[in-house]
Order: sequence, then C-alpha cells, then structure tokens
Amino acid sequence: MTNKDIVISKDLFEPAHVDPSKSEKIAKASLNFWQDSWLRIRKNKGAVISMIILILLIIMAFVGPFLTPYEYDTQNTKHNNLPPRIQGLENVHWLPFDGTLSRRDGTEYNAYETRKVDAYYWFGTDNLGRDLFARVWKGTQVSLFIAFMAALIDMLIGVSYGAVSGYIGGKTDSIMQRIIEVIVGIPNLIIVVLMILVLKPGIVPIIVALTITGWTSMARVVRAQVLKFKAQEFVLASKTLGASNVSIIFKHMIPNMFGIIIINTMFSIPNAIFFEAFLSFIGLGLQEPHASLGTLVESGYKSMIAFPYQMIIPSIMIALIMVCFNLVADGLRDALDPKMRD
Amino acid sequence: MAEKQKLLEIKNLKQYFNVGKPNEVRAVDNVSFDIYKGEVMGLVGESGCGKSTTGRTIIRLYNATGGEVLYDGVNVHGKKSKRQLKDFNRKMQMIFQDPYASLNPRLKIADVIAEGIDIHGLAKSKQERMERVYELLETVGLNKEHANRYPHEFSGGQRQRIGIARALAVQPEFIIADEPISALDVSIQAQVVNLMKQLQKEKQLTYLFIAHDLSMVKYISDRIGVMYFGKMVELAPADELYKNPLHPYTQSLLSAIPSPDPISERTRKRRNYDPASHHYEDNEPIEFREVTPGHFVLCSEKEYKLYQAQSR
Amino acid sequence: MEKILEVKDLNISFHTFSGEVKAIRGISFDLFKGETLAIVGESGSGKSVTTKAIMRLLPEHNSEIKGGEILFDGKDLTKLHDKQMQKIRGHDISMIFQDPMTSLNPTMKIGNQIMEPLIKHQNMSKHAAKERAIELLKLVGIPKPEIRVNQYPHQFSGGMRQRVVIAIALACNPKILIADEPTTALDVTIQAQILELMKDLQKKIDTSIIFITHDLGVVANVADRVAVMYGGKIVEIGTADEIFYNPQHPYTWGLISSMPDMDTDDEELYSIPGTPPDLLDPPKGDAFAPRNPYVMKIDLEQEPPFFKVSDTHYAATWLLHPDAPKVEPPEAVKRRQNQYVGTKGGK
Ligand SMILES: Nc1ncnc2c1ncn2[C@@H]1O[C@H](COP(=O)(O)OP(=O)(O)O)[C@@H](O)[C@H]1O
Ligand SMILES: Nc1ncnc2c1ncn2[C@@H]1O[C@H](COP(=O)(O)OP(=O)(O)O)[C@@H](O)[C@H]1O
Ligand SMILES: [Mg+2]
Ligand SMILES: [Mg+2]
Repeated sequence: MTNKDIVISKDLFEPAHVDPSKSEKIAKASLNFWQDSWLRIRKNKGAVISMIILILLIIMAFVGPFLTPYEYDTQNTKHNNLPPRIQGLENVHWLPFDGTLSRRDGTEYNAYETRKVDAYYWFGTDNLGRDLFARVWKGTQVSLFIAFMAALIDMLIGVSYGAVSGYIGGKTDSIMQRIIEVIVGIPNLIIVVLMILVLKPGIVPIIVALTITGWTSMARVVRAQVLKFKAQEFVLASKTLGASNVSIIFKHMIPNMFGIIIINTMFSIPNAIFFEAFLSFIGLGLQEPHASLGTLVESGYKSMIAFPYQMIIPSIMIALIMVCFNLVADGLRDALDPKMRD
Repeated sequence: MAEKQKLLEIKNLKQYFNVGKPNEVRAVDNVSFDIYKGEVMGLVGESGCGKSTTGRTIIRLYNATGGEVLYDGVNVHGKKSKRQLKDFNRKMQMIFQDPYASLNPRLKIADVIAEGIDIHGLAKSKQERMERVYELLETVGLNKEHANRYPHEFSGGQRQRIGIARALAVQPEFIIADEPISALDVSIQAQVVNLMKQLQKEKQLTYLFIAHDLSMVKYISDRIGVMYFGKMVELAPADELYKNPLHPYTQSLLSAIPSPDPISERTRKRRNYDPASHHYEDNEPIEFREVTPGHFVLCSEKEYKLYQAQSR
Repeated sequence: MEKILEVKDLNISFHTFSGEVKAIRGISFDLFKGETLAIVGESGSGKSVTTKAIMRLLPEHNSEIKGGEILFDGKDLTKLHDKQMQKIRGHDISMIFQDPMTSLNPTMKIGNQIMEPLIKHQNMSKHAAKERAIELLKLVGIPKPEIRVNQYPHQFSGGMRQRVVIAIALACNPKILIADEPTTALDVTIQAQILELMKDLQKKIDTSIIFITHDLGVVANVADRVAVMYGGKIVEIGTADEIFYNPQHPYTWGLISSMPDMDTDDEELYSIPGTPPDLLDPPKGDAFAPRNPYVMKIDLEQEPPFFKVSDTHYAATWLLHPDAPKVEPPEAVKRRQNQYVGTKGGK
C-alpha cells in the first residue's frame, strides 16, 4: 500500500497556484432540455426508424394521390377489382405486384390479361374501379388529419381543464373531477353513436365525437402534475416573489410538463386512428366517395376472400402508423422523463 | 448592543390543515415569538414538528388559521391592496431546503435570478437587468459565465447559492431560510453558512433560520426556538439554550446530537423524552413562561417554579 | 485480527450519455472481523458504488468493473455467477439502505419479509422462521412483536421501519453488514436509537459493519476505523482516533474543521472552496488539488501514493513526502491534535 521512496525532483514541491475561480467552472457543454432529449432519443433505434417511417408516410399522404394518373374518386367500372400491378416489379413473380389473382380452386390467372386492360394500378382497384393507390394515400391523409386534430383538441381542452382544476384546488377541483368521472363513466361508444346520429357522418362530427371524451385522460394527467408542482419549492419561491397565477402556470408549470403532454398526445394519436377505423367499420365513418383508412378496410373486408389486397393494404397502413406512433411515444417517454436523467 | 427593535411579532399563530376532517393536523399550534431587527433566530425540532409550516405561514404562503404576524407593526395576513402585497414580497424572502426542487429546471440561471427583478420592475433595461444578475452571481461566489446555464448543470451547493441570489434580487430585509443546508455535504454547508453570515453583516439582514442540525444552528443563531409537535417548547439565547436546557424535550434533543469527537462519543449518555413525564393535571394551564430574562419555556406553574430554582 | 473482506485496486466506470464516468478509481481496503469501518466523503465520491460493487448490485446495463478484486471467503466476488452471488447476498453479506420506505415491500407483511431470507438461506420451516422473525423484532426493540409481524410497512413509523430493515438484514447472522447512510433520513433522536441498536447487535452477533455516512458525528459514534473518500478514491484511512485527532490529508482537515464544534462562535467557519471534481473528466494529478489551499506543483502532475503514518494509518497526499514543506493545518485541526496528545499523555 505504501510507496516511500519515489524519487522526485525537489522543485515540484514548491507551492503551485490554482486559479480559485476555476474550481467553480463547469466543464460540460451546456445543453438545454430539447438538445439533451434529442441526444437521448437518438440512441433509441426503434424510435428513430419509426420517426423516419412516419415522416415518409405523412409526406406520401399529401404527395401520393398526385403520383398516379388516376383520381381517388373517379369510377371506372370496366376496371373494377383489378389486383396490384407495378411496372418493373410485375416480372418478379414472388412479389404480389404481377396482377395475378387466384380462383376458388386455387389456380392463378392474370386479371389484366384476361380482361385485356392495359393499365397499371399500383395497389389495384376497388369494386367501383377506383384507383386504390390514390385512395389509400387520400385515406391516410384524412385519417391522420382526424387523429391530429382530435389529439390537438384533446390537448388544448385537457391541459386547460386539468391546470385550472389542479391549480384552484378545493371545491372547484372536486366538482371538476366529478364531472370527468361522469364523462368517463358513460360508455364512449354510446356518446359517439348519438353524436354521429345527430350530426351526420363526416370529418368534423368524427373529430367532435373523438374529443368529447378523449380529453379526460390528458386533464387527469395535467391535474396530477399541477398538484405536484404546486407544492414544489420553485413554485413557492415564485409565489414569495409575488408572481401572478398566470405566470406561475405558464412560466413554471406548463414548461415542466411539456414532456408528459407530448407523450400523452403521441399515445392518443394512434388511439384516435384506431377509433376512427372502428367507427367506419361499424358504419358510422365517412361516407362515399370520401375515404379514410377505416372506410377502406371496411369496404375491402366485404370482398376479402376474392380480392384480399383491398383489405390488406389499408390494414397494413393502419398497423404501421399505430406501431410507429407507439414506438416514438415510447422513445420519447424514456428521453423526456426526468427520472431517467443522469 | 443597542436597544433591540422588534421586526416581527408572531402572536398565537395557528396553522391547521384539513380542519374538521378526521385527519386534521395542527401543524402550528399557538406559537408566539418575536424576531428582532438584525438577529438570526434559529428554529429547530424534528421533522414534522411544524418548522416549515411556521415559516411558510409567516411569509403568507399559507393563510393562518388563527393568530397574527406583525411586520414592523403591520399585520401581514388579512386584506391587502396589490401594492401592499408587493411591498411585503420585497421585504420578506425565503430560501428553500431542496437545492434540486427549488430551481425551475427549464429556466436559465439568469431568468431564475431575475424573476424578482422582473416582477417588481427593478431594472429599466435589459442591460441593467443582466448587470444586476451578474452582480448577484458574484455576490454569491459564482460568475458571469454561469448565467446562461441550466440548474441541472450545478452542484447542490452552487444551486443553493443561486437560490440565495434569487432571494437577494429584491433586496429584502428579512429572510426565512428553511433548512438551507440540510441537503448539502458538510464541506459545502460551511460555504453556504459563511455566505449567509457575510451577507447578513453587509446588508443588515434578519434571518429566521430553520434547521434540524443543531450544531450549525448554534453557530449561526443568536436565539433559538425549539418546536415539538406544533408547539414551541423552549426559546432562549443560543448559548443559554445549550448550557442550560430546561424543557426535557430540549434536553433529549441536545443529548442525541452526535459530535465529531470519538472520545466524548464513547461516554455520551442519551436521554429519552416521554411527554407523559410532565404529569400535567387535566386543567393545568400550560403556558409559555419567561423563566429567566429571555429564556422562555412551555411549562406549568409548578414546573416554572422548579425551573426558576434550577436556573439560579 | 482476522481479515474478512479484502478490496484490491477496484476500478468501476459507468457508461453514460455524456461519456465514461470513472466513479471508482483504484480503491483498496480491508475489513476485519467484528469491526466497524466507516466510509465518509461527500456525495458523489463513490461510497455507494463501492458497496454496491461488493453486493454486486450495480446496474448491469451501464456499469463496468474495469479491474481489481473483492475477496471474501477465498472467492473473488467480482467473478462469481449470479446464482453463487445470491447465496452470499442476505446470508453472508447483507445491506441496509438509506430509505427505510423503499427498502421494504409495501404489499407484504413485515413477518413474511423477515422470514423470506430465513426460509431461502437456512432452509427453516415456516413455523420456525416465524418464531425467529418474532425473536428478531424483539431484538431490534419493536414492542409487541407477536402482533407486529402480521402488519404492513405503512403501519410503522420511519424509525420503526429502519429497525425492521435491520432485523431483515440480520436475520441470517451475516458476517458483513453494509449500511448505506442508514440514519440520514431519520431525526437525530431516532438516529441515536438506531445507532445504539446497531452497536448492541454487533456485539451480540459479532458482525463486521461497513457504515457509510457523510455525518462526522455519526462516524465518531460508531466507527473503529475510518476511510475518507474523495473523487472515487480513498484519500486517508486509519483508526477513528487517528482520523479525528491526527488527520493528515488536507481534505480530511477541511472536513473536520468545517463543522462548528460547540464552542466555535464568531470566527468564520473553515470551508473547502469550490466544488467536487467531475468524474467524467477527472483532473490530472491529485483530484483534490484545485480545492487544496496547500497545493504544490507535483499535485497537478502526479497522483499521490499512500504514505504510511502509522501501522494503521495511511494518507494519500504529497504533503507527507519527506521533501514536501511542513505546513500548518487549520486551527481547528491543531486544537484537536493538541487535545489528543493531552488526553493520551494523561492516561
Ligand atoms: N399542505 C399540508 N397539508 C396537510 N398537512 C400538512 C401540509 N403541510 C404540512 N403538513 C403537516 O404538518 C406537519 C408539520 O409539517 P412541516 O411544517 O413541514 O414540518 P417540519 O418542517 O418541521 O418538518 C406535518 O405533520 C405535516 O405532515
Ligand atoms: N447508475 C449510475 N449511472 C451513472 N453514473 C452513476 C450511477 N451510479 C453512480 N454514478 C456516479 O458514480 C459516482 C459515485 O456515486 P455514489 O457512489 O452514489 O456516490 P456517494 O458517495 O454519494 O454514495 C457519481 O459521480 C455518480 O454520478
Ligand atoms: Mg421542513
Ligand atoms: Mg450514496
């Protein structure tokens, strides 16, 4: 353990000077919350890939319908129920893009050749001969729009309601919480069905139907956070300095909840997409010729045996969107959660 | 010492939580004491005895259930105009216990410190504001470069000094320090205590210093109050309290502090406190009585006589 | 004295987002049978990491033992399989943590929590284990243990919970008890009771204790020997008397003199300037150099080795090198040295 006889030149034992201000120096580069979070989420491969896929999907939702020569709502009954066929890929026979269908007895035939259609429908056509490629992207666009709007409105209502309820506290809080309990207590579906019956199916009624019950979870989360922050010392410090309630909520509380609000919203988007699809499936969704992923799956389902592609393609789209959003949300939770910080 | 002037008078202060419910807590129950201008008043007791609640009620974070707090003769509680409230906010400030929870993690240090300056409009221009911030940082031993960083980049002791700078920004006269050093390491505690002492001299501040570490409290305080279950059981000048503790709870508290001295530790005898040991009669008036000048004890008439005899 | 645990040149790193945190940088110490070794140092100095390494409780995903060994019973604990380690944990070596609430399972009866290690390690029958649990609760001073065994943690106060935690830790009469700040979350009066209890039990079952704390008062109360840690290293180790009355390392000087004793009054407290080193990028030479008022050129160049002060007392500071200038320790330390020489001479 000891080491008595190391030979060291004597002048090294002279007093040294260390700048006292240096000892307070912070070596690490200064990172703010967002930079730090970005570094963290970048390490999560699943989340990054999901994010890239989502960005591509969103771009395609807007650009996709213009890539084919066909409109999403133009009917061409002569070309109905054609399977997918893509230039170049049609010769790769193990890919499902060669325009073949199978009969009941299992034999295969090329629908384009037998019906003498000289066209390329990349995702095929539906029973009215509308181009599914255009319809799928149009449907994605509509579904995403509905989900984003619903999530945004949920967020606005939920955050304000939760913040007010938690901040004021006391009786007001009790009453506001009872209201939430009542709303949550009524089965979601009943409210939605009633709403749609009253308002007639369409994008706006669906959004309203989704948000009328959807904001409650956000409100609860935000209220819990506000209650937590209300007792935190930095909020007390701000109060003793004479800060107004508005500035305490907006400067001190909400910025500290960004993480949780974003995560909650990210989880509510796939839920909204799923719920929209579900509504369409039970016949309360958008009306023809409009398309959403839900209506596409629903009409594809009717001819699932004969023309499986009509259902499979929009289903894959829904699944992909939901999985990606969930993975991103998961990644964000790990990255933004302050408990995980070191 | 010149004639002592009362800065704060706390009279029969009561703070009950959940009044009327089965879980009612009498966090502060009929506490009275004065704080003189320029002194450090220490407040000790085990956790949950109501020290923080006392401090927070004095500074109006809670509305008192009963009693009053007079600051320079004016009641702090009760109805106030906006102006009067702001005046109080500037005169009284607070330093908090938890260096990790007392700074908003999303604000830059400059904005943390400048919050009071912004609220009270103490700087005319952006530049003046920043100059004030730099000046305050220097006052607490940090420097300019720290202004643009975020709280999580600082150590506990540095954060606590930032909390002090934030309180100083509005140039208060009276500061309530709620266990400002309990979360810090020994070597860092000394830094913060030295800073607080130095500031007190320079700026003629008055402190209410709340703590559960009794050796630091003794060092910094002129007078010390001991709380037990919401009541103040003893109040005396610091030296007097340590040399001549009268209330059995104070005695047990003092006997429990380990001192950094192995030889005396080997022989230290601990005393237990049993509230039943007083043998109070049912209607016996238990009051805060002055046993010797400046030395108050919560006791019955009988005990009072006994304590007086002991102190002679 | 019989060595029961030997830590040799232990190095531990954490891999974090910001880089490699060299949390433990070459620690060696021995633990003898029946003694209490206190480890002191400021937070972040590596006290908990050291003990977690002994218990093999470091998080697997980001920690790495980069070198060194921990010898217990002829085995190197760093190399054992999880299965083998499980046999040692709770049986030969057990641990008490700071927070008595989180170290108990809130959904499990106190009795069952005490019985668990007994049934697992000592193959006791349920009935015998329950008897022993009641006995243990009595031992740690919990009144009405027959009733208490059937209660849940939330029905206990903080001090009581820590007693239960101690009872669980001592269930199998471990050879080593590691206590990581066991009284930090408690009030002084409760702390005093727990310390008394631990000393009492130690005598009864002859365990060795590693006691981690940052409270020097507590150290003075419990320790036979003291290791002072700074920046992931032990900088001074010796018997309690040697550390408190004849400290050699300037960091120990700082620690001891920054506590006011009952009669320091108006003089300014001695304080160690600056902040602890950043272990992401530990400074070259002596990690304490930037805060050391006695800093020499060599401190900035080369890490100091351990210098022997007595057979039991070693300190890692260049000030002990024969060529180093003689320096005056702070007043408070000199007072202690004189006081100690005085009492020793008196004996
Ligand atoms: N906002 C509150 N609501 C209900 N009870 C409270 C509240 N704040 C404190 N208490 C209770 O009041 C008592 C005193 O608490 P506190 O003043 O924080 O003690 P100390 O600061 O001495 O540790 C405790 O029993 C605590 O549980
Ligand atoms: N799980 C972890 N991940 C990353 N760094 C860690 C982890 N645990 C401890 N450390 C680092 O190791 C160092 C020593 O920590 P620790 O042993 O807990 O200190 P203390 O002496 O306060 O017990 C600190 O710098 C800390 O940041
Ligand atoms: Mg408190
Ligand atoms: Mg620790």
